[in-house]
Amino acid sequence: MPELKVKGVTIVETFAEAFPMVGTRVIITAPTAEWAMISARTMTGFATSVIACGAEGGIERILPKSETPDGRPGIAVLLFTMDVDKLQTQLRNRVGQCVLTSPGSACYAGLEGGKKLKLGASLRFFGDGWQMSKVIGGRRYWRIPVMGGEFVCEDKTGLTTKAVGGGNLLVVGKSHSAVLAACTRAVRAMADVPDVITPFPGGIVRSGSKVGSKYAGQIASTNHAYAPGLKWHPDSELPPNAEAVLEIVIDGLTADAIHDAMHAGIHAIAKGGARDGVTHITAGNYGGNLGPHHFHLKEIVG
Amino acid sequence: MTALCFQLKRRPEQRLDLSPLVPARLDGLNRKEIEALSVATTREAVTVGDVFKVKGRDVQNLHFIGTDDRCDKIGAGLTGGEIVVEGDAGMLLGARMKTGKIAVHGGAGVLAGASMAGGEIAVRRDVGDQAGGVAFGETFGMKGGFIAIGGDAGDFVGERLRRGLIVVGGNAGDYAGGRMIAGTILLRGGVGRYAGYGNRRGSLVFADKPRHLLPTYVDSGVMEFDYLRLLETWLRGQGLRIRLGGRARRLMGDMAVLGKGEMLILS
Repeated sequence: MPELKVKGVTIVETFAEAFPMVGTRVIITAPTAEWAMISARTMTGFATSVIACGAEGGIERILPKSETPDGRPGIAVLLFTMDVDKLQTQLRNRVGQCVLTSPGSACYAGLEGGKKLKLGASLRFFGDGWQMSKVIGGRRYWRIPVMGGEFVCEDKTGLTTKAVGGGNLLVVGKSHSAVLAACTRAVRAMADVPDVITPFPGGIVRSGSKVGSKYAGQIASTNHAYAPGLKWHPDSELPPNAEAVLEIVIDGLTADAIHDAMHAGIHAIAKGGARDGVTHITAGNYGGNLGPHHFHLKEIVG
Repeated sequence: MTALCFQLKRRPEQRLDLSPLVPARLDGLNRKEIEALSVATTREAVTVGDVFKVKGRDVQNLHFIGTDDRCDKIGAGLTGGEIVVEGDAGMLLGARMKTGKIAVHGGAGVLAGASMAGGEIAVRRDVGDQAGGVAFGETFGMKGGFIAIGGDAGDFVGERLRRGLIVVGGNAGDYAGGRMIAGTILLRGGVGRYAGYGNRRGSLVFADKPRHLLPTYVDSGVMEFDYLRLLETWLRGQGLRIRLGGRARRLMGDMAVLGKGEMLILS
C-alpha cells in the first residue's frame, strides 16, 4: 500500500465515519465578552457526546459587537442531537438553565430555515404573565422581567436536519505531549472554520470509544485497538512506538463544513508534528456500514 | 428595466384613488391598459392617462413624480415591490399593505400605513393624523411592519396599534399610541396630551420626558433594557442612526385598562 505522508506524518488510508444529526445555532450576548463566554460555556457544558449528555454542543465562534442583534459582545453556539424532539428539549433546558440565569444575557436565533425550534416561545412562561412580546423587522422577541432586569430572547431559532456528527481524526504519536500539542493546534485551526464545533474538553477526546462492550448494558467501551497499553493484543492497530492516541471529534451543520475542518486539522497537526513525534493521523470508523458520511483522509488532505 | 413612472400632469380636480397602481394589479398590463385604469373618486371619470404621464416598464418598481395631497391610497394593499413617491402622498398611504417598501420624499396625509400588516413606509416629512391607525372598516390599527416618519405626526399616531414599529422623528400630536394594543412607537420629539391613553401592552419610547403624563401610568424607575439596544441595532440596519442607549425610566400603564403597556423615557 503506498503511504501518504504530509510533512513526515503518515496519513493512514482510511475514513472517518459520521452520522446524520439535527443541529441549531443560537447567539448569546451579554454586557461584556467575558460574560457572554461564561454564559455560552455554561450552556455547552456537559455536552460532549450524545451517549450520555443528551446533546453535543460547543462554541462556534466569538462575535464582535457589530455582528450581534443588540450590538453587545456575543458568542455563537451550536447544539446537536440525534432527533428534533431531543434538540428541542435540550435547547429549552440549556438556554433556560444556563443563559436565562446568566447575568445580563440575551439569546437570539442563529440559524434561519423553514423548520423552527422554540426558544423564547417556551421560556417566556418564566415571565408568569409579565412577559412582553415585541416584533421587530418581522422577528418576534420576548422580554421577560427578571431580577437582573430583563431577559430578551428571540421567539424561535432555525434548525437543520442536514447536520453531521462524528467527523473525527485520531492522532498517533511517540509521546503524549507531542500528540496533545498537535491536537491543540488542530482544534485551534478548526475554530476558524465556520459551522463546526469540537464538543469534547478543549476539543480533544482522550478516550475514544467503540460500540458495545463485554458487559451487558454498557453501550460504549474503550477503543482498545488504539489503547497504547494494549499494543500486545492482536486487535491493536498501533505501531510499536506509539505512546498515545488522542481524537478530535467534529460536529458540523453540513458535511462540507466537517470536510473543511478535517482539512484544517490535518494540516495543523502535520505542521511540526513529525519533528515533535507525531507519527500517524488516522480516523475512526465502523467498517462503513453504520454512518452514511465517509470522510476519506486521502481526499481531505488533497 | 426602468421603473414604471407616473408623473402627475397637473393638480387633479378631484381626489384620486391610486390603489390600483400596485405591482400585483399592474403586472401583465400594457401601457394602454394601465392608462385606462380608473382612479376617480367621484362620478366624473378619471383614468391614469388623464392625470399621469406614464413612462418605464418595471411594475415591481413604481415611481410617482410630482404627486400632491390629493393622491390618495398610494401603495394601499401593497403585496410586494417598491414604490418611491417624489412628491407628497394623500391619505391612506400604504394602508392595509402586507409587504413591500414605500418611500415618500415629501409628506403624507391622514391614515398613512393604517391597518398595514407588514412592509415598510418611510415618509421624509410630516404625516397627518392616525398614522399607523385604523383604516376604515377595520378594528385594529397597524398589525406589523415599520413606519418611519421624518417630520411631525398628527394626533392619534399608532392608534389601536397591534404590532410593529413606528418612529416619529419630529413631534407628535395628542393621543400618541391611543388605545394601542401592543407594538412600539418611538417618539424622538415632543408629544401632545394623553399619550398612551388606553394602552394595553404597547411600548411608547420617548427620547425626552413628555410634558403631560397621564395619571394612570405608574413609575417603575430606571433600569437597563436590552430591548432598546436590540431596537437601536435594528434601526441602524435600516439606515436610521438613533441613539437609544440601554437605560430608561419605565412607567407602566395604562392602569385604566390592562396596564401591561409601558412608557420608556430614555435617560
